[in-house]
Amino acid sequence: MNKDIQNNNMKMTKTVVIVGGGIAGWLTAGRIAAYHKQSVKVILVESPSIPAVGVGEGTWPTMRSTLIALGISETDFIRECDASFKQGAKFANWVDGKDDDFYYHPLVLPQGFNQGDLAGYWLNKEEKNGRSFSEDVCFQEAICEKGLAPKTIRTAEYGAIANYAYHLDSGKFAVFLQKHCTEKLGVLHIMDDVNGVNTLENDDIKSVSTQESGDISGDLFVDCTGFSSLLLGKHFEVPFKSCSDVLFIDTALAVQVPYDHEDSPIASHTISTGQEAGWIWDIGLQHRRGVGYVYSSKHSSEEQAREVLAKYVGDKFDSLPVRKIPIVSGHREKFWQNNCVAVGLSAGFLEPLEASALVLVELSAQMISEQLPATREVMDIVAKRFNETFLYRWDKIIDFLKLHYILSTRTDNAFWTDNRNPDSIPESLKEMMQLWKYRSPADHDFTSNNEVFPAASYQYVLYGMGFKSDYSHSQHLLNDWKFAEQQFNKNNQMIKQASDALPTNRELLNKVRQYGFNEI
Amino acid sequence: MAKLVAINNQKHRNLIIDTSKAEQYGAELNLIPTVLSEFVSLAVQYPIVFTKNGETGEFVCAAMLGFESSENLFWQNGQWQGMYLPLQIQRQPFFIGESSEQGNENIGENKDYIVCIDVESPMISEAELIKTDSCNKLYSDDGKESDYLIQAKNTLANLLQGEADTKAFITTLKAMDLLQPLSLEIAFVNEQTTRLNGLYTINQDKLAALSCDKITSLHQSGLLQPIYTMIASLAQIYALIERKNQRIQSYT
Repeated sequence: MNKDIQNNNMKMTKTVVIVGGGIAGWLTAGRIAAYHKQSVKVILVESPSIPAVGVGEGTWPTMRSTLIALGISETDFIRECDASFKQGAKFANWVDGKDDDFYYHPLVLPQGFNQGDLAGYWLNKEEKNGRSFSEDVCFQEAICEKGLAPKTIRTAEYGAIANYAYHLDSGKFAVFLQKHCTEKLGVLHIMDDVNGVNTLENDDIKSVSTQESGDISGDLFVDCTGFSSLLLGKHFEVPFKSCSDVLFIDTALAVQVPYDHEDSPIASHTISTGQEAGWIWDIGLQHRRGVGYVYSSKHSSEEQAREVLAKYVGDKFDSLPVRKIPIVSGHREKFWQNNCVAVGLSAGFLEPLEASALVLVELSAQMISEQLPATREVMDIVAKRFNETFLYRWDKIIDFLKLHYILSTRTDNAFWTDNRNPDSIPESLKEMMQLWKYRSPADHDFTSNNEVFPAASYQYVLYGMGFKSDYSHSQHLLNDWKFAEQQFNKNNQMIKQASDALPTNRELLNKVRQYGFNEI
Repeated sequence: MAKLVAINNQKHRNLIIDTSKAEQYGAELNLIPTVLSEFVSLAVQYPIVFTKNGETGEFVCAAMLGFESSENLFWQNGQWQGMYLPLQIQRQPFFIGESSEQGNENIGENKDYIVCIDVESPMISEAELIKTDSCNKLYSDDGKESDYLIQAKNTLANLLQGEADTKAFITTLKAMDLLQPLSLEIAFVNEQTTRLNGLYTINQDKLAALSCDKITSLHQSGLLQPIYTMIASLAQIYALIERKNQRIQSYT
């Protein structure tokens, strides 16, 4: 073997250079620095003139583990990032658009999920009490409808009475992470513009050139440059795989809406409301809401879209600045090329229907950190596995998002009927829908280690949107109605207990600001 | 609900307090807040634990009287069976209020504490209606404070200082990471089980691993004694279990 290649292969991964700040850059920096401590040097270089995208405010429960891994206190996080608790998503007007059309995708599993097929019993029970699936099998919906928090001031930090994630201010979160990474985790921060990429003979990146800080060398480069994908997209020219044939949304109009007063209630969940050519997200932080209309420009003009958003926001809308953000739906054909891996928008983007962007950042950061190739020799293997893992995940997310559309019965705009066109539905999703014609989604439908959404999530969406699995061939499997009844009763009990014990979000967040959570 | 009013020798000249009724306040409490100065008296019968204040989530010290909410195993036949009555009960029907004469600017500074009484307390009886040994007047006929009132004020002062001491104690323990959840699964004689929830105690492993400097500083602050008193008091949980078992058996 050529001596140079041999030497290169032995090169240890000692320095990681992250290009780009924002949440992607800082979470990745933090994960690697917290895990590897002094043994790996982490440098983050970001442009002082390119702003971060500034949206991205919904997270998954994984964010709690991520904050713990970085050594961050939940009290500090809540105080400094305008954060609130998210207990799932409420989907309104997705089925037929009528006033009472809504369902929940909560974060707590249906009662007795691991012990039996409660969904099957629910579909077949004789007493249809008019309640929805999520209402009957999960107490979290009741908590959300009442604006209650998922825990009390007595619960230890990161502990939960009901499973939860966060809504957060993305700008404040990035600043908060930057402070933590540089002051507590030893990450080196360079504010400068990257204006060139220098390569080795094997096409690896040797260093990035900057305006005023010279060349920054590293062994592994992480591309967190956002939509511009400076390293993976522009330099390595890894092609982009669009999925606009499946998910039609291509534009976002985002606005920040103040509360009516300081003590206005804060919603416990993300509200997603179906509109004529897309849907509106509504996220309640402590001091303001984040609202945005994501729509398909093929099915609506910008003017119409603004009207839709204005109608949703109400009187205040005219005085609020609106940001237009183009959404190119899809992802790179691979994410790790040579010694460069993309995390965040540089890897791809989908409409935020299930808040998947930040969790993909977390999962990427975790894998890079935990599987950091010891030497260049093994980097190609890690890269291959990273690409397989995340290509699988992107596909699964696309399928799950599409699921929300194919179950709709709305006909008010071609956007909705076009979404149900079989040509726009991935084969993998069609296949699963066939299976689920006869039974509910189960854990054995999701056996990869790289699954993103659990079977319960599919149940919540399917049955929330009125899908009916036909059990006439498998009535014999529903042979323990006593179990089912126990679970429904338990759910009612838990609704009552939770309603009595839990404070409102506003109350709890005020107390956290004042007293903080204890660590135990 | 308590109705707190600042006492004065005009309005309350004729009030008589029946101290034998003080105990009733604790009849349905399974946890009573306590202060450092009474630990030694409490430890003889009650487990002393930490729990979190429902309003603020902050740690407080408490004497444990029962396993379930509203269960006081020391209250039987309308009487307190224990040997020592916690200060929080003893001081009834008196409370400490803060005077707000300064207005809003000086909140938290130069507070004046005033003695208040719960005018709706069942301990208050009209003068001359009842005369027993346990009845005490607040004021003499010419408006001077009675010995009983002076004693009550002392108790309140002890409590106030005690609360500050206890808070400092807890702050120190937290800084040294000496608190841990109390986890105990208990089976009673009727096979009913309970798992203690929301109670905390001293982490004895971490205590044993403290550096000499930290131990010395605890000793010099007078905090070693309450630490070890709390640890010793945990054994009282077994006596408490016995009390519950006896109560269960007396119903069957």
